[in-house]
Amino acid sequence: MIGLSHYLLVGAALFGLGLFGLLTKRNLIAVLMSIELMLNSVNINLVAFSRFSATDAAAGQVFSLFIIAVAAAEVAVGLALAYAIYRGRDTVSVDEMNWLKW
Amino acid sequence: MENGGLMHTLAFFLLSGITLAAAMGVVFKRNLVHSAFLLSVTFLGVAGLYMTLQAEFMAAVQALVYSGAVAVLVVIGVMLTHRQQMSRSNPPNKMLLVGALAALSVVGAIVWAILATPWKVGKGSVVTAGDIGRRFLTDFAPPFEAVALLLLAALIGAVVLFKGGKAQS
Amino acid sequence: MNFDALMLEMAVALLALLILVADLLMEPGQSRRKLGYLAIAGLTGLLLVSLGRYGMQGAFFNGLFLQDDYALFFKQTFLIGAILVCLFSLDTVDNLPHSRAEFYVLLLFAVVGMMILASANDLITLYVGIELMTFSFFILVGYVLCETKSTEAAIKYLVLASAASAVMLYGMSLLFGIAGQLSYNALAKGLTASPALIVGGVMVLSGFAFKIAAPPFHMWAPDVYEGAPIPVTALLAMGSKAAGFAAMVRIFAEVFPGTGYPWPLLLLLLSGAAMLVGNLAAIPQTNLKRMLAYSSVAQAGYLLTGMLSGGFAGVKGVLFYLMIYVFANVGAFAVLTAVSRHRNGETIGDIAGLSRKAPVLAVVMTVSLLSMAGIPPLAGFVGKFFLFSSAIDAGYLWIAVLGFVLSMVSVYYYLNVVKSMYLGAPADDRPFEIAMPVRVTAVFAMAATLAMGVYPGPLSQLAETAAKTVFK
Repeated sequence: MIGLSHYLLVGAALFGLGLFGLLTKRNLIAVLMSIELMLNSVNINLVAFSRFSATDAAAGQVFSLFIIAVAAAEVAVGLALAYAIYRGRDTVSVDEMNWLKW
Repeated sequence: MENGGLMHTLAFFLLSGITLAAAMGVVFKRNLVHSAFLLSVTFLGVAGLYMTLQAEFMAAVQALVYSGAVAVLVVIGVMLTHRQQMSRSNPPNKMLLVGALAALSVVGAIVWAILATPWKVGKGSVVTAGDIGRRFLTDFAPPFEAVALLLLAALIGAVVLFKGGKAQS
Repeated sequence: MNFDALMLEMAVALLALLILVADLLMEPGQSRRKLGYLAIAGLTGLLLVSLGRYGMQGAFFNGLFLQDDYALFFKQTFLIGAILVCLFSLDTVDNLPHSRAEFYVLLLFAVVGMMILASANDLITLYVGIELMTFSFFILVGYVLCETKSTEAAIKYLVLASAASAVMLYGMSLLFGIAGQLSYNALAKGLTASPALIVGGVMVLSGFAFKIAAPPFHMWAPDVYEGAPIPVTALLAMGSKAAGFAAMVRIFAEVFPGTGYPWPLLLLLLSGAAMLVGNLAAIPQTNLKRMLAYSSVAQAGYLLTGMLSGGFAGVKGVLFYLMIYVFANVGAFAVLTAVSRHRNGETIGDIAGLSRKAPVLAVVMTVSLLSMAGIPPLAGFVGKFFLFSSAIDAGYLWIAVLGFVLSMVSVYYYLNVVKSMYLGAPADDRPFEIAMPVRVTAVFAMAATLAMGVYPGPLSQLAETAAKTVFK
């Protein structure tokens, strides 16, 4: 019997994959895709909770709809940035950046 | 889909398998175009999972917005920013080990939290699109309006960022 | 629906839309200065209107949106910050290569987001407020992509802010799972001690730590502060921090106390780390924007000590300190704008000999920096006194001692700048031009810093009234 924990574990695995991609990808677009994976895992959690346990079930789904709207806008802005940078210097690599400068 | 039946179990494992396999492809594939298309598959898999959770409206939105708009946008972005070799367009950086350790420890903590917490699983409730719509326009009206502003800001922002890049060439 | 509760937010949003439309009606080549004046006038009007709104209490939209003195105090802090930033950015905006009017529009959108954060009483409103603010900042940070630094800042802020939101959201989803609801009142009742609460709480706290630039999530601050246009940096430094605290204090006052969550310990660690890292890393910096970024990390640490007590005395300190931090910040960044315009750089060498070329600006810079360091009789001293004494009263003597010692350390690097301004030789002999708005802003900010240091009574009273409304 499939229950709440199964869905939560799928969400956790998706979150971990997204986090791994976020930390290890060189390409700005790939980093954005990893963040989308993380947001999807949040949405799985919210919908699963609203199906199985929440007292206010609708709120969970409303929350994930807000997340979807914001995520779509985030991708649009991120790609605009990627394209603007690409036109200037022919690369969207984030690797030359010194991420942990003190 | 009724919860608990054999069909439900099968559908869950099939869909979560597809979702996670595709997500692994997104992260591990060396070709950015493959990653982008697998991202779309991941989104559709998640939409399927929403169906098994009887959240039909969420599934529809997921398929339309994520798979239909976001994934296509990402593919266009990939096409616009890579004109040469595509086969090695998505390489990892030098932090593979650190990244793997960090991700694993976070996931470990989350999995522990999920398994060790006694969730109060009730009878469960199914949410209809009508419920969601009513909540959007009553309780959640302020964030609803704010998201409208946010989309406008993103729209203006895309143009501004684009112009900012233009000035340099 | 209650429109009166949303009055300030709607008015700022309408002002932004008005500017957007007015921009379309103007000739393409025309200066957009008038729109800047319009923004300043509109915000000032709203600030005056908001003064009369103290004492109006209420929960709207089914308790998800609060109107109280606490939220109002923060909204006024944001309004004052935005007015001053608009004022000293008039010339910066005139020199932008493109989209001049949109600068003001996005700045106002960021203010709307901050205001929503201050009133939010549930996780959805909180999230959307954060994102509205963050989105506006994404774009403002990357406004001029011509420079490498600016590009790096824009990418870094976009990626790290989105990642921080994702982590925070995951934490929120766990909190939702435990409590089954999203409003703070329901969370306070529904959250029970469990592993998921620990993990979820840490994740939510990480998201806030990013917004207020507290270690280990402060890495973005130096690079983004350095790469963004100076007015944006100023708004980011005070706005993002103040808004982060506005939401964080409310959550920590309303949700976590009854749940058995070890939040004082986490705040203690965060606060100590922020003070240590911020002050020690600021010492070797030669770029003033980077130095101010690390100093702002340290300020986050001081502010966090005010949250330890979990009572209104500490929150009063937080409110007071944030307001005076706005003035100190605006003073420092306004001077930096003038210097950067003259020298096209912001290092400690560029500011050398400022006292001979622009004595007024040198005095403003000195006062602002010493106020951040907490030297009496400036406002920063009073603020730190409130914060540290509330921590001592709550039994956290050591963190207050650490804060005091590190404040003394901070005097060293602040005085380094002052020394360079007064004893260093100017790098060139060109006459120093100061635009009128910058001069007005700088002098006003200095006057406010001095006035609130010498005569802190009214502001501290106001902060106390406001702080009391969070603890019902």
